[in-house]
Amino acid sequence: MLKYALRRLVYMIPILFGITLVTFLLFNVAGGNPAIVAAGRYATPEQIAMIKAQLGLDKPLFMQYLDFLRQIFTLDFGYSWFTKQKISTLFMDGVGPSLSITVPAFLISLAITIPLGLLLAFFRKSTLDRTILVIALAGISISSVVYVIAGQYVFSYKLGLFPISGWETGWDTRWEFAVLPIIILVVLTVGTDLLFYRTVFLEEIHQDYVRTARSKGLSNRTILWKHVLSNSLVPIITLVILEIPTLLTGTLLIESFFGIPGLGGLIYQSIENSDFPVIKAVTVMTAILYMVFQLLSDLLYAWVDPKIRLG
Amino acid sequence: MLKQRTLFAVLAFLSITFIASCTHKVQIDNSVNVELKGNVKGLDPVGASDLYSSFAMSVVYESLYQYNYLKRPLQLEPLLADGMPSVSKDGLTYTIKIKQGVKFADDAAFPNGKGRELVAQDFVYSWRRLADPATQSEGFWVFDGRIKGLNEWREEAAKGQAKYDAPIEGLETPDNYTLIIKLKKPYYQLMYQLASTYTSVVAHEVVEKYGKEFLNHSVGTGPYILKEWIRNSRLSFERNPNWRGEKYPSEGSPGDKEAGLLEDAGKAIPFADKVVFYELPEDQPRWLKFMKGDTDFVEIPKDNYDGAVKDKKVIPELAAKGVGLRADPDPDLVYIGINMMDPVLGKNTALRQAMAMAYDSDTYIQKFYNGRAINAQSIIPPGVDGYDPEYKNPYKANNVEKAKELLKKAGFPDGKGLPAFEYNCSSSATDRQIGEFFQQKMAAIGIKITIQQNSWSQFIERQKSKKVQIFGVAWGADYPDAENFLQLLYGPNESPGSNASNYHNKEYDKLYDDASKLPPGPARTAIYKKMRDISATELPIIPDANRVRFQLFHGWIKNFKPHLTILNSYKYMRVDMDKKKELKGKM
Amino acid sequence: MAINEAMTQTLTMIEPQTIKKGKSLWTDAFQRLRKDKVAMVSFVVIVFYLALAFLCALNIAFPNYALVDNTIAYQAPSADHWMGTDIFGRDVLARAAHGTVTSLIIGFFGAALSILVGTLLGSLAGYFGGKVDDCVVWFYTTVDTIPYILLVVAFSFVAGHGLKTLCLAIGLTSWVSHCRVIRSEFMKQRGREYVQGAQALGAGHLRRVFFHILPNTFHLALINFSLLFVSAVKSEVILSYLGLGVEAGTPSWGMMISDAKLELARGVWWGLTAATAFMFFMVLAVTLFNDALRDALDPKLRGK
Repeated sequence: MLKYALRRLVYMIPILFGITLVTFLLFNVAGGNPAIVAAGRYATPEQIAMIKAQLGLDKPLFMQYLDFLRQIFTLDFGYSWFTKQKISTLFMDGVGPSLSITVPAFLISLAITIPLGLLLAFFRKSTLDRTILVIALAGISISSVVYVIAGQYVFSYKLGLFPISGWETGWDTRWEFAVLPIIILVVLTVGTDLLFYRTVFLEEIHQDYVRTARSKGLSNRTILWKHVLSNSLVPIITLVILEIPTLLTGTLLIESFFGIPGLGGLIYQSIENSDFPVIKAVTVMTAILYMVFQLLSDLLYAWVDPKIRLG
Repeated sequence: MLKQRTLFAVLAFLSITFIASCTHKVQIDNSVNVELKGNVKGLDPVGASDLYSSFAMSVVYESLYQYNYLKRPLQLEPLLADGMPSVSKDGLTYTIKIKQGVKFADDAAFPNGKGRELVAQDFVYSWRRLADPATQSEGFWVFDGRIKGLNEWREEAAKGQAKYDAPIEGLETPDNYTLIIKLKKPYYQLMYQLASTYTSVVAHEVVEKYGKEFLNHSVGTGPYILKEWIRNSRLSFERNPNWRGEKYPSEGSPGDKEAGLLEDAGKAIPFADKVVFYELPEDQPRWLKFMKGDTDFVEIPKDNYDGAVKDKKVIPELAAKGVGLRADPDPDLVYIGINMMDPVLGKNTALRQAMAMAYDSDTYIQKFYNGRAINAQSIIPPGVDGYDPEYKNPYKANNVEKAKELLKKAGFPDGKGLPAFEYNCSSSATDRQIGEFFQQKMAAIGIKITIQQNSWSQFIERQKSKKVQIFGVAWGADYPDAENFLQLLYGPNESPGSNASNYHNKEYDKLYDDASKLPPGPARTAIYKKMRDISATELPIIPDANRVRFQLFHGWIKNFKPHLTILNSYKYMRVDMDKKKELKGKM
Repeated sequence: MAINEAMTQTLTMIEPQTIKKGKSLWTDAFQRLRKDKVAMVSFVVIVFYLALAFLCALNIAFPNYALVDNTIAYQAPSADHWMGTDIFGRDVLARAAHGTVTSLIIGFFGAALSILVGTLLGSLAGYFGGKVDDCVVWFYTTVDTIPYILLVVAFSFVAGHGLKTLCLAIGLTSWVSHCRVIRSEFMKQRGREYVQGAQALGAGHLRRVFFHILPNTFHLALINFSLLFVSAVKSEVILSYLGLGVEAGTPSWGMMISDAKLELARGVWWGLTAATAFMFFMVLAVTLFNDALRDALDPKLRGK
């Protein structure tokens, strides 16, 4: 087990290297010259040159790449070009709001889709199954943008049930702003999640052991909850773990539309402003998070299923 | 069953939060609540190029001079200066006295946490920061090439560490309350710059203590201090107990008295205990926040106009809630720029004239500004000297037939032989629609336009790298002088400078230089008009509109008289608490 | 994305062998599909959209979609304009219909490019294994871990904006899931008897890859194509919202939905409704058909 973990950790290194390289190439090389914009309305060529030097952009590419690597290892990504704010502060500020939306939405979605998926898999082809399937499929046939725009319009504007947008930092005061975004996020994800879990459970249910259990006379309830669910737990949990990094980056669309000062909004703004240090930092941090959780997920899978370890 | 229990839990959660949201407390406090259309980046005066940051800074930082809140046309008056400056006969030396007893706000950076008295040296320090390359300020242009010794100091600073104690010939402080500015050549816009946010004064102790975090830690001489900043959401400022105090103006413009704007004449300001800025880049949330009474005034987004204003008056439902309307023309110009370096567009005047003639500013204004703008005839907008409301640009007649003739004269009958031109704009939905409108108008005479949208910073970068052909932009006055618009076509200002059209005309440039040597007056205005005529015929830019700002404000806000160039208006506003209670109850 | 990957992992459990009764995979699947009413209806809808797009592209259907008339801007649905008019007085129904062309192009080319790249890299990795495999896996892990939006943004910095860039951007960033599927399929197939048989007959590596193994993965490509198609069409909407959409003036569902952000405030709901409705039926039809196709091709469900 330890060997497997170590092997995987070592394997992460070239990936990390690849990510930093690709990110660097994408933004430092292809991204254009931010000094031009930074110099302002009345820019002069000498001003632009000065700013370029200040931003460290006149160094040879290789040196810039090393600087970037150093930033990643020390987790000090410097300052945003656009706002001049410290990037790590921007991150820390953004994490709370993003998680306040994504974590409740995630939990609620899980709580709905797993039991429901189990039920539908069991009663496959029944009216309940078909109806809910159609609703889920219909739901994912509508763009998320539509849900966000229409949701805010109907529930905040027309019906006045929720505030239009905004945020409060207090742990007790933020919820009135979080409710509608959470609901919309649940609606967005519940369709795909439900379909997925239903498929997973279907696979399990068609296993031979289920037929055996049924012929042994075990009740459906026992079969479902004790056997199918627990056997499906592994793929489910490994999947859930993989989803966790996405919770952190929040959802761009919802955050920008509802004025929630989270990481998603940060990404959106930095794209609009060609704020490369922020974009690069977010890219690398997100990638690292994905890798860490992928590793956790794989380790869990390996721990449960010895066949993988030996492979 | 688990499913049932989960469902119940979910429902319980939702109902609790629903109830919580319903009991959202109605805020009734003595605060002025401001909507900002963009996010505040930081509160450092060297970053005042960002308009929204400047609004927030205006309640904390002060400059030597300010614009009188009520007088129109804009007039300068002393703020931190003690009286207007005495200027030498050759216009090269300005001697300014500083008010005594002005204190910085309390902060841990000062000994015993008590804000110390402002001295003349503080201004020199603050302006050095503008010149210091390390701050990457976009604001150096206000002094660039003007003050003796400052450019040289900046070049030295670029080589290594800036020496903040090195003397600068053009910035002398013979004593704590006297500042002498020595110019290289006459600079009649200097006074305006001394009223801008860029030149506002900061304390070196605070900058030294907070370093790179200074932009989050504003400490100024102004009437408010920063209490809370929820990034990308809002900033709250509270009354500065140590402020020296000022009085509400006793004189204004004709009509102010009738509008009730002189009721508080002579009273001590600021009136509001708090000023809160809400960062609301999206139109709809901004509008709805105003409708709920959470912000005190709002610039009406184009899509909400019909639902709020009829025949230039507030609709009855809103009037019943005490909502008022103000229409203020801005010294602003929306225009279509043409890159004169383009081999086809730059060489062919008749072609550009054809494009201007085919364009329809009136429909543009109707569609995108609900008719709330003036059809701009030239590069000089209302509100600055040189503006002539009677002037009509012959090429803005919106005559498709004449445009076709001009196109023929240009050598491209019905657009034959013309390549497609690229129109550049930002990626916002409205800008895209504006681009489509331009596309349609040009198509009517046979000119093919493709639209290239980019993120805002990419758009700027393209302009400054001369990579654009045609672009849609706007320019708001930095100060009330037509020069601020005329410089948009001054040759030496070509990209990456403000002359994004890269227009080079020797006659125009000479007139510009001549005008810069003259103080404001008829002689200078005459030169401005000559320059205007040249630009109106050559059309390196097609003037489109001068926007009029329509703002709604709630009945409890008094002394509301906004102007694009006056940023520090919040200290004059007063909240009528009784009215607020009464009107908010109706919401 | 994790869910997609896991979903497609379940697809690898489908075995591409001929089954009892001598029916080939495809014949069997076709027959089962014929019997599935939902699949048939979906198929008809898809054909309808293809026909509509074809007719629109030739300007036979709704030829006046670009007709501007500023005097009738933002009119509510009426007898003249069944779904009303937009900001420039253009017929909304016509624009939504023409938006089908844009979405089909993006969906088709985006998905096709993804399938192409994914198949190429996946087959090489799965077949040759070893260093080649390591390289490919390294590459796709890297691409997969970088957030999708940022890749597209970076792409647009270089390639500009517009339809071509969108297709390229979506195509070059969505191939990882299919690549994984193909790779694992090839790994399974390369040791099979029929491949060894081909080798014995003198077929070189490339021949074996392209003529023998690859055809056995076509059903995976087909299923994934539909998934990627839907994903591309939905991405266009989000990218349009972020300002990375097609060129202004081109009718597109994404633009119409983005514009709704501003329009709803003045009570103009018809643009949003038209675009959403058109997209809804197409996406639903493709999804349902794809679902049925998957079931039809799944040997485990045969005989049930």
